Amino acid sequence: MATTTATITIASSDIADNAISVSNTATLYTAGTDTGITETTGLGRKKFASNSNIVLLDGGLTSGIAADVTADKSAKVYLKNMNDRGDGTKYVNILLAAVEIGRLYGGDWMFIPWCAASGKDIEFTASDTTETTLEYTCFYE
Amino acid sequence: MATTTATITLSSADLLSDNMSLSATMNLYKDGTTATGLEQLNYHRAIIPTGTNFDLIQDSAALSEDASYVYICLKNTDVTDYVKISINSEEIGRLYAGDWLFMPWDNDLTDTEAATDPSGNDSSIEIQAYTHDATIEYMLFHSGETLLTAADS
Repeated sequence: MATTTATITIASSDIADNAISVSNTATLYTAGTDTGITETTGLGRKKFASNSNIVLLDGGLTSGIAADVTADKSAKVYLKNMNDRGDGTKYVNILLAAVEIGRLYGGDWMFIPWCAASGKDIEFTASDTTETTLEYTCFYE
Repeated sequence: MATTTATITLSSADLLSDNMSLSATMNLYKDGTTATGLEQLNYHRAIIPTGTNFDLIQDSAALSEDASYVYICLKNTDVTDYVKISINSEEIGRLYAGDWLFMPWDNDLTDTEAATDPSGNDSSIEIQAYTHDATIEYMLFHSGETLLTAADS
C-alpha cells in the first residue's frame, strides 16, 4: 500500500481578536480501512477559453480518465484555478452534476471527497471566455 | 480587512515511482476585489447523530453569488466511520475518519425553504453520519449572512 497525506493549514492573524491556525493531516485510505489508496489519475492540466459547461471528471463511465474510480468509496479530488486573480471578477463555477458547489477565483484551490457515481460528474463553467488553466488530480480506489 | 490563508500540501513517497509533493496557498478574498480579505467567520464543533440527513451550514440569501469557503473535518478515529456531504440532494462524497474538505461555496440555487423549516430544496450543505455519531469541526468564511429578526422583538 501507499501512504499519501493531505495537509491543510488555515491561518489568520487578524480575522478575530486572537490569531487562528487550524491544521489537519488526512491520510488517504480506502473506504473503511487503514489501507492507503494506491491509484491516482495523476496531475492533469487543462486550458480552455469558453464559458460553456465542461465535464472535468466523468463519474460512472467505462472509459476515460475517471473510468476506474469506484463509486461511493473514498475518492478525493484536488482542483486549482491557475489563473491570476486579476480584478477578482473572473472565476470558474464548479458543479457536481448540475448543482453548483462554488466559485474558484484565480489562485483558489479545493480538495473534496467525490462519490463518483454515475452522473455525478465534476464540471466547471467559466465566468467568461478568458483563457483559464485548471490543475487537478484524483486519488481513488 | 483580514488576511486569511489556506494552504494544502499533498505528498507521498510511494504512491508513484518518484516522490510526489504538491503545495498551494490561497488568500481568502471577497468577490470582485483584487486583495480584500473576507472578514467574517463561523467556527463550530458538533456531534452529528447517525440516521438523519441534517443541514449543516444553512444557506442564506446574503451568501448568494459571492465568495465563501467551507472547511469540514471528521474527527472520529474509527476507520469505518464516515459522513456523507451533500448539496441540493447531490452527494459530493464521503469523509472518513480523519478526512477533511475545503471548498468554495455559493448559494446559487432557488431557495424553496422557509427560514424556520429547512425541509425545502436548497443549497445548504448537508451531512449524514454513518456507523457511529460523527464529531466534526467546520468553518465558514464569508462576507455576510442574512440575519433573522428575533421573533420576540
